[in-house]
Amino acid sequence: MIKSSAAPSFLGTFALVFVAMGLLYAVDTVLAGMERAEGAAAAARLYREGLDLMHSGKNSDAMERFGDAIALERGNRDYQRALAQAQLAAGKTSDAEATLAALLESDSTDGFASLLMARVLEKEGKVPQAISYLHRAIYGDWNQDQAANQLRARFELIDLLARRNSKDELLAELMAVQDHIPLDLEMKKGRLYLQAGSAAHAAEVFQRVLQEDPGNLEAQIGVGEAEFAKGNYREANRDFETALRLAPDNADARQQLELSNQVLELDPTIRGLGMTERFRRSLKLVRMAADDATECTGHNPPADLAELLDKAATALKGNYNASRQNEASESNLDLAAQIWQARKRECKSAPPPDLPLALVLAKLAQ
Amino acid sequence: MDNPQPLSWTARLDQSLSRLRASEGRLSLVLSLVIGALVGLVVVAFILLTGRLAARMYPAGGSGVRRILVPVLGSLGTGYLLARYFPFARGSGIPQTKFALFINDGRILFRTVLGKFFCCSASLASGIALGREGPSVQVGGGLASVVARNLGLTPKQVRALVPAGCAAALAAAFNTPIAAVLFSLEEIMGDLHAEVLGSVVLSSATAWMFLHLVLGDDPLFHVSGYRLVHPSELAVYAALGLVGGLGSVCFVKLLLGLRARFMNLPKWTVWFQPAAGGLAVGLMGYFVPEVLGVGYNQVEKVLNGDIILKTVVLLAVLKIVATAVCYASGNAGGIFGPALFIGAMMGGAVGGLAHTIFPDSTAGPGAYALVGMGTAFAGIVRTPLTSVIMIFEITRDYTIIVPLMISNLIAFFISQKLQPVPIYEALAHQEGVHLPTAESRAQAERIQVRHAMRDVPVVLAPELPVAAALHQIKDGSLDAWPVVDSGVLRGMVRYRELERAAAGGGADRRVADLLEPANQNDHSEGEQTPHVHPDHSLSLALERMGTSGLGVLPVVSRANVRQLIGIVALNDILEAYGVASEASPKELGNP
Repeated sequence: MIKSSAAPSFLGTFALVFVAMGLLYAVDTVLAGMERAEGAAAAARLYREGLDLMHSGKNSDAMERFGDAIALERGNRDYQRALAQAQLAAGKTSDAEATLAALLESDSTDGFASLLMARVLEKEGKVPQAISYLHRAIYGDWNQDQAANQLRARFELIDLLARRNSKDELLAELMAVQDHIPLDLEMKKGRLYLQAGSAAHAAEVFQRVLQEDPGNLEAQIGVGEAEFAKGNYREANRDFETALRLAPDNADARQQLELSNQVLELDPTIRGLGMTERFRRSLKLVRMAADDATECTGHNPPADLAELLDKAATALKGNYNASRQNEASESNLDLAAQIWQARKRECKSAPPPDLPLALVLAKLAQ
Repeated sequence: MDNPQPLSWTARLDQSLSRLRASEGRLSLVLSLVIGALVGLVVVAFILLTGRLAARMYPAGGSGVRRILVPVLGSLGTGYLLARYFPFARGSGIPQTKFALFINDGRILFRTVLGKFFCCSASLASGIALGREGPSVQVGGGLASVVARNLGLTPKQVRALVPAGCAAALAAAFNTPIAAVLFSLEEIMGDLHAEVLGSVVLSSATAWMFLHLVLGDDPLFHVSGYRLVHPSELAVYAALGLVGGLGSVCFVKLLLGLRARFMNLPKWTVWFQPAAGGLAVGLMGYFVPEVLGVGYNQVEKVLNGDIILKTVVLLAVLKIVATAVCYASGNAGGIFGPALFIGAMMGGAVGGLAHTIFPDSTAGPGAYALVGMGTAFAGIVRTPLTSVIMIFEITRDYTIIVPLMISNLIAFFISQKLQPVPIYEALAHQEGVHLPTAESRAQAERIQVRHAMRDVPVVLAPELPVAAALHQIKDGSLDAWPVVDSGVLRGMVRYRELERAAAGGGADRRVADLLEPANQNDHSEGEQTPHVHPDHSLSLALERMGTSGLGVLPVVSRANVRQLIGIVALNDILEAYGVASEASPKELGNP
């Protein structure tokens, strides 16, 4: 049994301890609040210094500032993203990847972190993963201007796909954003449509620009290129001529005009051509295809190509009267196409895509 | 029939308290929780206060001169307070806590707790290169002691609660509840099977919970995940164990050597001795600011591989010197934090070098810094198990645990081989305190010296001539006699030697001349003299008699080995065992 004299001391000590604990908790809370506030202020200062350093290209110093800011305010994702940006800019891709991996582990919907991760991975040559992260960035969460940032991410994806020449994916992405692309990016959209192989969409875009601004040289050349890509060489030729009238010294327009001229001179499908001219052009195509194949495979071509080249030699020697020229033209064009296919199969080097012969034969194959 | 009158709330409370007090188990449970919470809150306040003070002493963009002035002034101020008001609040606090626990019935004064809290906080905030964890342990143990004594508990109950306070403090200071339990048992109690396990675990967990309540769930260091890159890498970790072990020994020997020198200085210099540490760390900090304070932000940087090799080596060397000087000069602060810092830097250096030579088969320097922390801790503090768990808890990274164990054990064995006496024990020895080992505490459960010892019949003054000494002890009833100078034991002189000196014409020689050479001067610590403590077992006394050839041993205080409490003679021991003596009294050291 507790002694009556001891009870107050026992109870008093407990009471004192609990009062002390209450006071300590209050003091701790105040001190912790002060620490957080001071830490946050110092971290914000370091962050600003880091941004200034990063903008002036001093990425290593910026990394140090961001690292210190993170140490003061652990949970701040802006600081961590900035650190990753600085690491990426400094070429420390593995460090940036680690920083971003930690960020994305805690929140996989972080749009900006996903975008940065995509950039890092692209720099490391991991393009499929980069594309995957760009998709995450497009559908991820952004602190501010969600729609604009998502669109920016999609443009990065489009640029990447364009660089990789992934036409189908590129076209799919372009179709997804076609109504959201700002007017100042119309020209880029047209070019990308061209790159994605959708000449019709590209032509529409450039025509729209020309309606607004008839003197737009780039749009004029773009329309020409779109018509060229569609195989409308005559229209393309007209567009390039118009472009040269707008800017007589424009080398690009001149080069495109020359190419279209060469194609027009070679194309046997142009409306209004006489039978004789069509026959002449078919012979020219056979000769050019045979020459290219011979040059590519040397004097000992494979048996199937050699057989086709023999046929070409025979065709070139042939002398047809007007009544048989139509039939001979068809035969020659078929032979030229076969030689071209065999050449592409047997030769290591691919023919240049803007080779007039290749363009005409491609049009014939459609 | 009358209903019994309901009890008032005070009566019910009184009954509850009575029941609580009557049940030792329930009381221990409640007190473990209360002490855990109280200590947790106090340690959190200690951490936060130190941080806020440091932020004010070193504002952003402060000049270099400030880095010299602040530690000097800080150490001068705290040095005065420590010397004048809080003499038991110096140093780390671990030896002091063990002293209180094993020698002083768990008694730590509230004044010491207050002194430790405020002096240490000011000292660490001013940039002194010491840690906060050891002092927290003393504060935690002290609070447990104060609460328990105010509750009127028995000394045994007080002693049982002190380790709980220590564990709670370490759990809150390091954010490592499991390591805190282990440390409390491994280092403080020296016994992993101690009976206090339950209360230690409870208080540690409670303190940790309060730490999280106030400061959130952040580990002490944030580390990227590391793993073993190649099995051959274990050889590099073994090399790190070797380097860590040697580095630890260098640090401990330097610290003990400097401490001994400071202790030999005149007593009136004690209050400003800490300024030497402040000046040393200030001068280093002027050129290398990273040396100032505990330096956990630098540890985190090296753990993440953000410091270059040259800097890492420089910081390791400077921190060893800075911590040794700061501690030896009497500043308040511990060596846990510096041990981790030194270890991280040594690990970073070894890892940086290995990664430069074998980039494909070794992890980055950060992984080695992580292992290095545990290695230095095992080498310096000598608690290998605690160090493994502590690193795991501090970083929450389990993947590096095997290399850590290998490296830790190598460092531990090297340290044990080259510095046989652990640092806290050696520091206590320098203070004249002989802490009991776990073994001697087990022996203490059996028949102890205190049961057979007796008062000293005659003590001889060292300046006494041999003839006078012989006259004083007359019949030579004892084999040897204590020589005491102003209450300080200088050694034992044999009766035979006194007789031989007198017979050889040396009757006018001083008694001191017959002592062992090590005990002849005034500054000898008396440690050379074979002795026993009251809580030693009689079997140990017999063993020491056999080793020394003395039939009489002085019984001295554990708190001061030069303070003679009594003597124990061979015949006293035999009598305690119930064996009658038929031998000549002098041979047995008995009248």
